[in-house]
Amino acid sequence: MPVPTPFHSRTSECCTSLLYKDWAGYYAVRSYDTYPEREYFAIRHAAGLIDVTPLFKCEVYGAGAAAFLSQIMVRNIAKLKVGQVAYCCWCDGRGKVIDDGTVARIDDTYFRVTSNWPSVAWLSRFSRGVEVTIEDSTHNIGALAIQGPYSREVAKIVSDIDVGELGFFWTTPSRIDGVDVHISRTGYTGDLGYEIWVDKKYAVKVWDAVMSAGKGYGLLPAGLDAMDITRIEAGYLLNGVDYYNANHCIIESRKSTPYELGFGWMVKLKRGSFVGRDALVVEKSRGPQRLLVGLHIDWDEHAALFAEHGLPPEIASAAWRTSIPVYGESGEQIGYANSGTWSPILKKNLALATVKAPFGKEGSKLRFEVTVEYERRTVTATVVKKPFFDPERKRA
Amino acid sequence: MPKTYDAIIVGGGHNGLVCAAYLAKAGKKVLVLEKQHVLGGAASTDEPFPGFKFSLYSYVVSLFRPHIIRELDLPSHGLEIIPLECSFLPLPDGDSLCRWADPNLTRREIARFSQKDAEVYPEFGMAMMKMAYFVKRIIDAPAPDPLSNSPAELINLLRLGRYLSSFGPDVMYQQFKMLTMSAVDFLDEWFESDILKAPMSVSGIIGTFLGVRSPGTAYVLLHHYMGEIDGAFRAWGFAKGGTGGVSLACGSAARAFGAEIRTKAKVEKFIIKNGSCDGVVLENGEEIHAQSVFSCLDPHRTFFKMAGEEHFDDDFIRQLKRYKLRGSSGKVNLAVDRFPDFSCRPGDGAHVRGDIAIAPSIDYLERAYDEAKYGDFSRRPYINVVIPSLVDPSVAPPGKHVVSCFVQYAPYDIKEGPEHWPERKEAFGDAVVDTLAEYCPTLKDSILYRQIHTPWDMERDIGLTEGNIFQGELSLEQLLFLRPAVGWSRYRTPLKNLWVCGSAAHPGGGLMGSPGELAAKTYLGSLKGPQ
Amino acid sequence: MTNGRSSKKYDVIVIGAGHNGLTTAAFLAGRGRKVIVLEQRDVLGGLACSEEFHPGYRSPGVLHDTSSVRHGLIKSLNLASHGLSLDPEPPAIHAPVKDGNGLSLHHDAQKAAREIAKHSEHDAERYSEYRAFVDRVRGFVNGVFDESPPGLGTIDARTFWPVMKKGLGFRRLGKHDAVELFRIIPMSLADWLDEWFETDRLKTLLAAPAIRGAFVGPRSPGSAINLLLWECRKGPSVKGGPGALVTALEAAAGGAGAKIRTSARVKEIGISEGKVTGVTLDDGETIDGAVVAASVDPKTIFLKLLPVAAITEKFAQRIANYRAKGTTAKVDIALRQKIEVGGNAGSSVEYVRTGENLTQVEKAFDAVKYRLCSSTPVLDVCIPSASNRDFAPDGGSSLSVLVQYAPYDLEDGWGDRQRELLGQRVVETLADNIPGVKESVVGLRVLTPADLESHYGTSGGHPYHGDHAVDQLFVRPSPECARHTTPIGGLFLCGSGSFPGGGITCAPGALGARAILKHS
Repeated sequence: MPVPTPFHSRTSECCTSLLYKDWAGYYAVRSYDTYPEREYFAIRHAAGLIDVTPLFKCEVYGAGAAAFLSQIMVRNIAKLKVGQVAYCCWCDGRGKVIDDGTVARIDDTYFRVTSNWPSVAWLSRFSRGVEVTIEDSTHNIGALAIQGPYSREVAKIVSDIDVGELGFFWTTPSRIDGVDVHISRTGYTGDLGYEIWVDKKYAVKVWDAVMSAGKGYGLLPAGLDAMDITRIEAGYLLNGVDYYNANHCIIESRKSTPYELGFGWMVKLKRGSFVGRDALVVEKSRGPQRLLVGLHIDWDEHAALFAEHGLPPEIASAAWRTSIPVYGESGEQIGYANSGTWSPILKKNLALATVKAPFGKEGSKLRFEVTVEYERRTVTATVVKKPFFDPERKRA
Repeated sequence: MPKTYDAIIVGGGHNGLVCAAYLAKAGKKVLVLEKQHVLGGAASTDEPFPGFKFSLYSYVVSLFRPHIIRELDLPSHGLEIIPLECSFLPLPDGDSLCRWADPNLTRREIARFSQKDAEVYPEFGMAMMKMAYFVKRIIDAPAPDPLSNSPAELINLLRLGRYLSSFGPDVMYQQFKMLTMSAVDFLDEWFESDILKAPMSVSGIIGTFLGVRSPGTAYVLLHHYMGEIDGAFRAWGFAKGGTGGVSLACGSAARAFGAEIRTKAKVEKFIIKNGSCDGVVLENGEEIHAQSVFSCLDPHRTFFKMAGEEHFDDDFIRQLKRYKLRGSSGKVNLAVDRFPDFSCRPGDGAHVRGDIAIAPSIDYLERAYDEAKYGDFSRRPYINVVIPSLVDPSVAPPGKHVVSCFVQYAPYDIKEGPEHWPERKEAFGDAVVDTLAEYCPTLKDSILYRQIHTPWDMERDIGLTEGNIFQGELSLEQLLFLRPAVGWSRYRTPLKNLWVCGSAAHPGGGLMGSPGELAAKTYLGSLKGPQ
Repeated sequence: MTNGRSSKKYDVIVIGAGHNGLTTAAFLAGRGRKVIVLEQRDVLGGLACSEEFHPGYRSPGVLHDTSSVRHGLIKSLNLASHGLSLDPEPPAIHAPVKDGNGLSLHHDAQKAAREIAKHSEHDAERYSEYRAFVDRVRGFVNGVFDESPPGLGTIDARTFWPVMKKGLGFRRLGKHDAVELFRIIPMSLADWLDEWFETDRLKTLLAAPAIRGAFVGPRSPGSAINLLLWECRKGPSVKGGPGALVTALEAAAGGAGAKIRTSARVKEIGISEGKVTGVTLDDGETIDGAVVAASVDPKTIFLKLLPVAAITEKFAQRIANYRAKGTTAKVDIALRQKIEVGGNAGSSVEYVRTGENLTQVEKAFDAVKYRLCSSTPVLDVCIPSASNRDFAPDGGSSLSVLVQYAPYDLEDGWGDRQRELLGQRVVETLADNIPGVKESVVGLRVLTPADLESHYGTSGGHPYHGDHAVDQLFVRPSPECARHTTPIGGLFLCGSGSFPGGGITCAPGALGARAILKHS
């Protein structure tokens, strides 16, 4: 049975739909209303407040911490300045991705790593002979994400520092209603946004402060369904859905390299050795065998198929996570899409798909399976650049 | 002389009944002879105390092959398996560990003892699952024989080799290690916490006279992951109405296919004429003849007692004489008038509705083994407790419970000599109850009735030589093509028309049904033509 | 290398100058390679080094038995020309019996049987059969262990024939012996010996070498194969013991042009693009070489001398899991008088083994499971001074005692008091078996597993660089490097932690050298 997060007393008051899911062993609100629209539009037009406590967190500290993390992460963590946050992935010795997340340099010798899966055991495998301590802090820290165009205004009100100064992917210590917190300008919605990290003892106090500050800005508590739509619009991958932790794969073909996932930009090969480097050198020179791409699924064709049966076009009200086959022009299967959504703001039908490399070029026309009146049909899907939605304000 | 039956099956345990059902299904005229008044042998249920149904010996259904359930349609004969919900480890210091089907819950439980172990636990499960395919291939087919010169065997061997190497070197290496390593060494490679390793390691020693640190005990760890690849989520469970339910369902299926089953029919001797086994003589002198005789007794009983040494060559006899039986476990069944609360985690919640292990540390288990090595039962034994009445109300009156304790170690060969077990029996029962009472303080006062089975009792009551529940230790030199003797792992025996179909045949003991099934199928295959 | 001081360039750098390291060096130098051997201690020989442990008294080496040295290798290195000579036959071993004559086991099977007959007619007959069985399977067994094993799961055209040949050899043994071999692998010593013999002292005497070097007691499954291996390898010993072997190997290596440096501790193996570039010593000196042959133990090589990211985490994990916790202590004893064993005045018994019965040995093993020392340890004693005057002053004796069991991770930790207590127990146990020992002790050196680690650098203080358990014998130390090559280009294994394992056989050194010649 899942357990409540430190914000549960507040989120459960708002969750009139009683729609919860088990996220890493915690009760997490899927959507406060029966449908996630209101929460989605709050995130895109005003601000949404999401309880992201279940995200795994791990504290890495000690004199050797920077060098240690640089050995494991595909990015050179030692180069991070204090207060900077890096989004990156990490691989096993064969260059297959274990997980992705953020690494925040909180202090010269103190880092916080967030991840989709617990990572203490994995990180510890490389700590021999290094002066470093690795501790799981998931259950000690409450985490809230304020996301949306007005999130800065809300954050400014609650925080005792000028949040306006905080750059994209930076973090800073701060106080909210007398409580010590860390605020980082990060998020999983592809919008302007902040995440607040607080000792679970004071979690409710911070929630209340944020909610009351957000009153004038349309701030709404938002659930995972709304966040899922936004993360697909932002082109963000989800470990366990779009790809799999290499340690959790029974067969090789399920594992992925950073180049396949579009994480190639993170991989810094021209530095000292790090875990998986040798394999990644080979992978880079050979080129990935498949690619994780964004698909834009033709809506007119979709609607036309339904019209053949005299039906209006059907579409799921939330993002989907089932695996759907993707075909080439000549009809052979060349990949699969593992998540997708109707984008209410773009008015487009989107998917994140893994396809054989030759089919992954931008502009490639593929066929996407649609079930219409119990029949399997296909519609055109075009490979497009990610993110699908990328507002200026995210970085500004 | 008229041959009245195609086959007589000596012993109405689950393997004998499975064998009978398959033979009858193929149209053979089959007779099963069981000496007890109930069917099931080591897998039987009885009501020795009014209102309380005890699974006398075997207590959980683990590896019973799903395809046998399908092929014999056992559910329509009353087989129902209720899954175990949890593995619960109470600890003497008031703490405890539960492992659940819910991975997140299990992770949190383990993390209290080791964060790293909690994270690695699912990865371990994955690795085991991969390897369980290998075991499946081994237990679902007759053992390959590397010493045979027949081309069919060589091809079979090559095919198996190719199948194994298709898993890649990693899995093969792990497999090789599992076959030879100790359970503790193998778990040490993955985990750091004793609290987690101790209850996991015990699956490697059940029914063997070995400790958790003895090499060769790692292999059985895999059995816990077999359910996953059989497509039967959480395959371990209680048979409704007690473990005898499995045997009764097999018996009912056999009858439905036309087999005849007689209980209280004790076989005294096989009838052997001109080097061929023609039938059996019962205790009352009745002679019954058949084309073939299938024995699901252990090798000592089959070859020395029922057939007679004189019918076999020296080499075969020598092999059987060194075949290790060495019973090492006992069983204590308790009828109690209220639920025995565990002080570390009170209440009759889901945590006690699975198996409960008294195995607080690896040293504890090793010490229990050390006592047994030198000819005594363990004062503080490993106990596997189940309380089936919590999930199956049919086995105890309302509010009352059946507490089944599988106990290790209780060596057959105690230093006074096995015949002195009757004098030690109550002391053994006390040791078990005392141990358990350390975790359940109210237990002693609630006991209405206590039933104790020592290895000596098992030998006398259900004919398991030396009280070995697997009819022979499951150690590598007694498995595969070596079980029960070199060259005779294919259910035939050196004696014409005598077959074996019990746990002493490949793939061995446990509530699997495989030896019975494979013996029947091999026999039926041999009728179709020369091998 | 960019280091300015890197003028020293060698074809092969051998880390560790134990008997295996020197064997590798001698072979490679003999084939014209430019070789340097780096030894961290100030003397050569490692665990085979003969040292003065008390003024005037020398130990033969930490390990004292040389009867397993591969004789083919002595010939191919022409060690005789470097002063090595062999005893005419393997030594007799004596098992003292309280208030009795004890049991002396001669190598000669008939002599031994006659001696055993004094205790049991049955066993005398069975012993002859036992030896005949060993003789029949020796060729096959040594064939398997004198060549590199086939890689696991990598049976291809190249390795198919050797495997096939071994398979055929196995079948040629005949069904009876083949089954017996297969059966022995998972068996326990006690079960196997019980099948053969009834005399307790005979069983403990035979079991002694097989319980050393693994975390097993006589009742542990998988322990029987160690006895079989021992029996198959046994041959005449080196005159003068391990020290003499080391001297001859040093002369052979040096004579062929290998450079040997002592007090040169390697701190790091240099790697670039997955290939070896050389080594760096403690003092910062770098030595270049495209091949490094490491005879130190696998944990040291892969977990200490290499950068963390040089090997995959899976491989690192396997090496970390490689079982190498020693259970053997070494005690050297200086006695002021000559001792006589077994009442056979005049005959110089060189080897003595204690242990009354297998149950006692098993109880000795039980202790180590709980991280304790055996209260009645089982001793394997060598008295080098019995036949060689170099080991003790006139009139005195030197005793080299291998002690089972002492844990590496003693419950209370190893301190002076614990060490002293262990020494006392050993002397007392000896005194029970050899009268007069206790009063005659003038000096004692106790090496616990923790000492073996700190003095000789073997991880876990394991005298064989890792347990001789079935899985670690055939795939040693892990599948990535089971054939002396490693995933790192130019890095080879040539120590006891590689196939076919520990003890003074020199076989890993020879197979390591062969792998280097083949792959570089």
